[in-house]
Amino acid sequence: MRPLTFRRLFFQCLILAVILFVVVVVAMKFGAVPVSLYALGRDVLRFLLGQTSQISTDYGLILWNIRLPRILLAIIVGASLSVAGTSFQALLRNPLADPYVLGVSSGASVGAILALIATPYLALPPAVSALLTPMGAFLGAAATIAAVYFLGRREGQIDSTTLLLGGVITASFLNAIIMFLLSTVTSGNTRGMAFWLMGDLSTSYQKSVFWFLGIGFFVATGAIYTTATDLNLLLAGEKEAMHLGVDVPRVRLVVYIAASFLTGLAVSVSGSIAYVGLIVPHIMRLIFGSDHRTLLPTAALGGAIALVFADTLARTVVAPTELAVGAVTAVVGAPLFIYLLRRGAS
Amino acid sequence: MSSSALARNAGDAARSSSDARLSVEQVSYAYSANPSQAPLFTLEATSFQAKPGEIVAILGPNASGKSTLLKLISGALAPLSGRILLDGFVTHSLTPRTRAQRIAVVQQESRLLFPARAWEFVLQGRHAHSRTLRFESEDDVIIAKNALAQVGAADLSDRWMDQISGGEKQRVILARALAQQPLLLLLDEPTLHLDIAAQVDLLHSLRRLAAENRYTVVVVTHELNLAAEYADQVVLMQRGRCLRVGPPAAIYQRELLEQVFQTPLTVALGSSGRPHVTVLSER
Amino acid sequence: MTQVSIPRFQSAVCVTVAAMLCAAPPLLAQSASSATPAATPLFREVTDEAGRTVRIPQPVRRIVSLAPSLTETIYDLGLQDRLVGDTDYCDYPPDAKTKTKVGGAINPSLEQIAALHPDLVLMAKSLNRLETVYSLDNLGISAYAVDPHTVDGIISSSKKLADVLGAPEAGDLIAANLQRRLADLHHRIGALPPKRVLFAVWTEPLISIGKDTFIADALRRAGAVSIVDSSQDWPQVNLEEVARLQPDYLVFAASHAESVAPQLDALARLPGWRIIDAVRDRRYAVISEAVNRPAPRIVEAIEDLAKQLHPEAFAEKPEAGKEKPGKEIPPPPHQSFLHLPLDIHSSSSEALSRGGCVCAR
Repeated sequence: MRPLTFRRLFFQCLILAVILFVVVVVAMKFGAVPVSLYALGRDVLRFLLGQTSQISTDYGLILWNIRLPRILLAIIVGASLSVAGTSFQALLRNPLADPYVLGVSSGASVGAILALIATPYLALPPAVSALLTPMGAFLGAAATIAAVYFLGRREGQIDSTTLLLGGVITASFLNAIIMFLLSTVTSGNTRGMAFWLMGDLSTSYQKSVFWFLGIGFFVATGAIYTTATDLNLLLAGEKEAMHLGVDVPRVRLVVYIAASFLTGLAVSVSGSIAYVGLIVPHIMRLIFGSDHRTLLPTAALGGAIALVFADTLARTVVAPTELAVGAVTAVVGAPLFIYLLRRGAS
Repeated sequence: MSSSALARNAGDAARSSSDARLSVEQVSYAYSANPSQAPLFTLEATSFQAKPGEIVAILGPNASGKSTLLKLISGALAPLSGRILLDGFVTHSLTPRTRAQRIAVVQQESRLLFPARAWEFVLQGRHAHSRTLRFESEDDVIIAKNALAQVGAADLSDRWMDQISGGEKQRVILARALAQQPLLLLLDEPTLHLDIAAQVDLLHSLRRLAAENRYTVVVVTHELNLAAEYADQVVLMQRGRCLRVGPPAAIYQRELLEQVFQTPLTVALGSSGRPHVTVLSER
Repeated sequence: MTQVSIPRFQSAVCVTVAAMLCAAPPLLAQSASSATPAATPLFREVTDEAGRTVRIPQPVRRIVSLAPSLTETIYDLGLQDRLVGDTDYCDYPPDAKTKTKVGGAINPSLEQIAALHPDLVLMAKSLNRLETVYSLDNLGISAYAVDPHTVDGIISSSKKLADVLGAPEAGDLIAANLQRRLADLHHRIGALPPKRVLFAVWTEPLISIGKDTFIADALRRAGAVSIVDSSQDWPQVNLEEVARLQPDYLVFAASHAESVAPQLDALARLPGWRIIDAVRDRRYAVISEAVNRPAPRIVEAIEDLAKQLHPEAFAEKPEAGKEKPGKEIPPPPHQSFLHLPLDIHSSSSEALSRGGCVCAR
């Protein structure tokens, strides 16, 4: 009998953090513009020492203004999607659940398309209009979260099956709206929209966006983490969880809102990146077990690693053309998922 | 403190209310499947009491309201009228966490979504006693180990839950309930999927545990002889009505049982001094 | 460790880690503007065709083009030496293929663009993504967008672009040239009734062009009118509707007419298409792909189409192969009826490969 201790959890996370660091270094090195590791190390040192003016201007702009923020975006988005996926799998008691199953990403996409259509008609200062698409996406996500919540209630409380049904139907409906908008809209750039829908990390965002993402991620993940033991018990069955002391309605509400919020965050800046939220939780479960106190942080780190890796592939494989990172995760993720399925079945 | 009015007791001595740990007072329940229809009464006003160390069997055929009564006692449902007191606290108004510290429910089966080991499963019982974000303490581990030992499943500790037999699983589930260190232990048809040896084993353990740890145990069952053999009190139910409450000797009357179970039978005194029912074959 | 200190240790570690991680993203994502050299002192503010105010460093020495039409325009203006990067699809003139590639039009590599240190990035509103504009803004790279919807718009767009790039004389020259040719065309065919045509961008499914696109306007200039009346840019058209309207001609754009020939033959055998008279009678007009790009070369395609649709107005053809001074070499003549032999080996192709340019002479 070896119950989980803080020390064990800490070291498990430490190992993953080290792997993440290595992946980040590799990602910093590779790209459309080659960077030598020595120069990279030298510049990192200068950056940390505050001597930013001495950073080589040859590729300083590229590394610090383009590549590093993009890697950070991948870390946050990957972590958010994985935590959301883990939470939904527990909440819905369904191993096939991914962050998009309840329609949040479809709602975000509708919001983003509407924002793109509306942009020419709104005279906004450039700093604000750049935020219009992510804001529109986030609002779309929020509206969907609320709608599915009301659809998913039975006798005043969230019911897992009803929630799943309501979410799936809402997702289908919103997807139909997306198709409709894309095929009939006269203004706006629908080709670019299709690219966004596939999942893409190439947009460069302002600092304020990163603040929002960072704080939002930690608040939401923290909220979910407080229910980690409850989620463990929920997996045994809702009635049993209640008899073991879990306040099931409260836990369901907290997890639903926090996980949907995480999904909304991720999708509003990067579109719908497939498979990360579905597969990373399963892999972490295989390695570390189903205890959510371990699973949540390791899934976050694992998702970050996976997405940084996938994004590096997306921007180097056919450089300088960029693949949509969602295409890379799908190509890698689908066979991986089939393998996990068969392994689980045996 | 509770006051009791047990209208339908047959031949029981006046109990002092301060002895009773569990007090079910005129509890009834109804639900309507359809808002436009009149509600269906699943349980009419029922009352009984139970002391620490006692085993109460809620006995009756199917659809007699047994499970509903158990759910009301466990706090999963709120009674339409009446109340249920555990050591003076109204069970339904407690938070799930506090309730789980006092009441443990043993399910028939456990469907786990992802595989877990037996010790992990039993440790879940400690959830109600630990604060948020606390990892299990050494005390928790000791209590869980003890719980497994008490049900004779110490050797199952490292086994996977989906790889042990039904009877072994039942013991681990019971261990989890014990790990909650409850005052009240509730079991709903625990013998349903067990073979005879396991059934006897379970009830024997229950009696021992109730005596050793001063639990109050309430078991829902339709097994006439098991109830007769192991229960200190029997609550006889039929079609949502509580017909009689009392020790087995008072309940196991041939006419009464035949009426409730709709089948010819005979009642004799068994070797242990408890009544024993023999169901007669049809004509 | 006693039970009491574990939670404290745990929470201390958690809070520290959380604080570090929370502060990291914005700190690391901050623009390293302190790392760039002092900004060039001269700027010029213009409003581009997407309505944005753009600050353009002066003079403009390094240009990246994110649209093939803009690449062509730069060559026409004679400014190709300033072009340091273009997209994978920039293939005309052939010299454009030798420029450093920055990726696709909708998915360019920001890194590659930044590595070229451009003074100005040129974009086409109908081709590039809005996100690319915002990203370039965020990186402090100026981006200028064009958005022509008519042939006149293309001409004035090129003129404005020349002015923005600091070469207004070249812009005036091109504009005057193109206007003259269009006026000449109008003189020949302006009085003739326009032919009703269906411009087919794609055949399966059938996609045509909307009435507000520059292609529709180009058709009008060539003495044709598109039978498709839609406000969408690339509407999907119902075959039955086409059959009802019975256009006089079907117009296709292709780089080589002979590559299109077998497809057009196959079209006539398809049941849905046979009911269209123009298909049955093989009344096709194939013009250069230049019609798809809002660049000066579109005028060639317009002239070509006009010749195919109204041959009688060109009875006395202008001297074939003669190069007018200051004018780009015309592309090889295209087939109007498929059974006629195709001549693509004209003397003009040699001049093409050198990348003709408009030079003031």
